[in-house]
Amino acid sequence: MRPVYALGAGAHPWGKWPDKPQVQLASEAMDEALADAGLRWSDVQGLAAASSRFEGGMGWGLHANELVQTVAEQGIPCINVGGACAAGAIALQTAYALVSSGQYDVVAAVGAERMPKGFIPRPPGSADDRTDDDYLRWVTMGATNPAYWAIEARRRQHDHGTSDQTLARASTLMRRNASGNRRARYRDPISEDDVLASPMVADPLHLLQICPVSDGASAVILGSEDFVARSGKPGVRVAGCAIGSGQFGDPARRIPTIASTVRDDVSHTSEVTGAVSRAFEMAGVGPEDIDLLEMADNTAWHLLAWPELFGFYEPGKGDWMLEQGKLSIDGDLALNPSGGFLSFGEATTAQALLQVSEVLWQLRGQAEGHQVPDAKVGMTAVLGLGANGGSVILTR
Amino acid sequence: MGHEVPEFVVDGLVEQTPEGPRLIGTRCAGCNTLYFPQKSSCANPGCDEKSPQPAHLPAAGTLYSYTIQRYQPPSLFRIDDWQPYIIGLVELGEGVRVMAMLTGIEEDQLRIGMDLQLVTQPLYTDSEKGEVRTFKFAPTGKFAPAGESA
Ligand SMILES: [Zn+2]
Repeated sequence: MRPVYALGAGAHPWGKWPDKPQVQLASEAMDEALADAGLRWSDVQGLAAASSRFEGGMGWGLHANELVQTVAEQGIPCINVGGACAAGAIALQTAYALVSSGQYDVVAAVGAERMPKGFIPRPPGSADDRTDDDYLRWVTMGATNPAYWAIEARRRQHDHGTSDQTLARASTLMRRNASGNRRARYRDPISEDDVLASPMVADPLHLLQICPVSDGASAVILGSEDFVARSGKPGVRVAGCAIGSGQFGDPARRIPTIASTVRDDVSHTSEVTGAVSRAFEMAGVGPEDIDLLEMADNTAWHLLAWPELFGFYEPGKGDWMLEQGKLSIDGDLALNPSGGFLSFGEATTAQALLQVSEVLWQLRGQAEGHQVPDAKVGMTAVLGLGANGGSVILTR
Repeated sequence: MGHEVPEFVVDGLVEQTPEGPRLIGTRCAGCNTLYFPQKSSCANPGCDEKSPQPAHLPAAGTLYSYTIQRYQPPSLFRIDDWQPYIIGLVELGEGVRVMAMLTGIEEDQLRIGMDLQLVTQPLYTDSEKGEVRTFKFAPTGKFAPAGESA
């Protein structure tokens, strides 16, 4: 195993892009990543793409193949990986393995998504019977995704006394961070009153506490040490890179199941905490060493709960950390300095790569308008359907 | 009425017994893990036997958490006279937690830890199937033990 470096990153701004096909979003993100790395398409020796179920990939999730056939047919291996909202992390893990093994010197990971309007339709071929969890949650009780997150948030209020105001403040922090980030979709600052006045979606979560969906694309290029100098920027190492799946007995209310069997000794959201633990171990660092954390804030609740689950501080302390400003860009742990999913909207398969791009730019001092002072170590954490988790640690 | 076999939103989740409605789950004869709904195997990595057997779940539980579904879900969810409703997460023992609509209780009466019992109620009336029911939980004693509340 040899060291792997993050050579460059790109991200198409998040938003709604009705005039750009998915493959074009991917291509633009790749172009930016190549320029950031000081490389050309002809330098890329392999491509791992996050497979989308919504658009492109010739209907078979062949998004890497589609991209190279569009912009650079050069015989390179194309690897297409599934993982729903965590697919970008799995693509990155794939690229990491190809470089760390010594098989290839420069490998890119890309994820691009145009999200459907309204409710996400059920995939074709799903069984309309009790063997299909997604079918069951709809027909038995009409449980939307926000209902699952709201059940977690309500229980947190019971366990830790989290107030509605604190839950609202988490949303305001994301908007404040996003206000300086040109790539974010929602950049107007909001107040706690704005959040609490927005429509209640699933108590205690209001509209402004739940991430919307967006179109977006991101690419990250990994490579060996020999290619670091090409960019003319500080070298940033991929010190930890891990993916994982869920554990039996996980107490998280896992979408789209309607029931679970919980074991006391199993971590909540184990697919992500497992990946985070392995990333810490690989990098030889702990929570105290992390300057910024880019994590999947599907809701305001996630912002309070996840750092606790990862061991950054004890359960329940997230409220105090937030209220004391310790999670702000200039705080002890900068939490989603990009503005997070709440300010970008979720472009499912692209999201994990956007997180890694953000950390790379932060560590190089390129995060114009939302720079974490003197950031040296950054971490990402993401969750996807099927109990997929991923986490990356970059260091400079 | 009363002795007809009720129509449920999906087969194999719940059935009427002389003692009232019961959720149908799975107990693994190998490691004794109880699951809901029915499973084709056992997901316990420490269990080598993996012997799933049909099993009834306890009909009584306690409220672990809850929310209110404020907007109308997509059309796969069928309900007559839609309005916001409570979804609870109910602990039934042996680690099993089940999500379900709650009934017979107002929002301001909800208390985490409160006792609940399984009931069934009609969700909608279908032109061919007639009245179609789902399982719900209600405060203990709110409805008759048979659970066939209106
Ligand atoms: Zn078993």
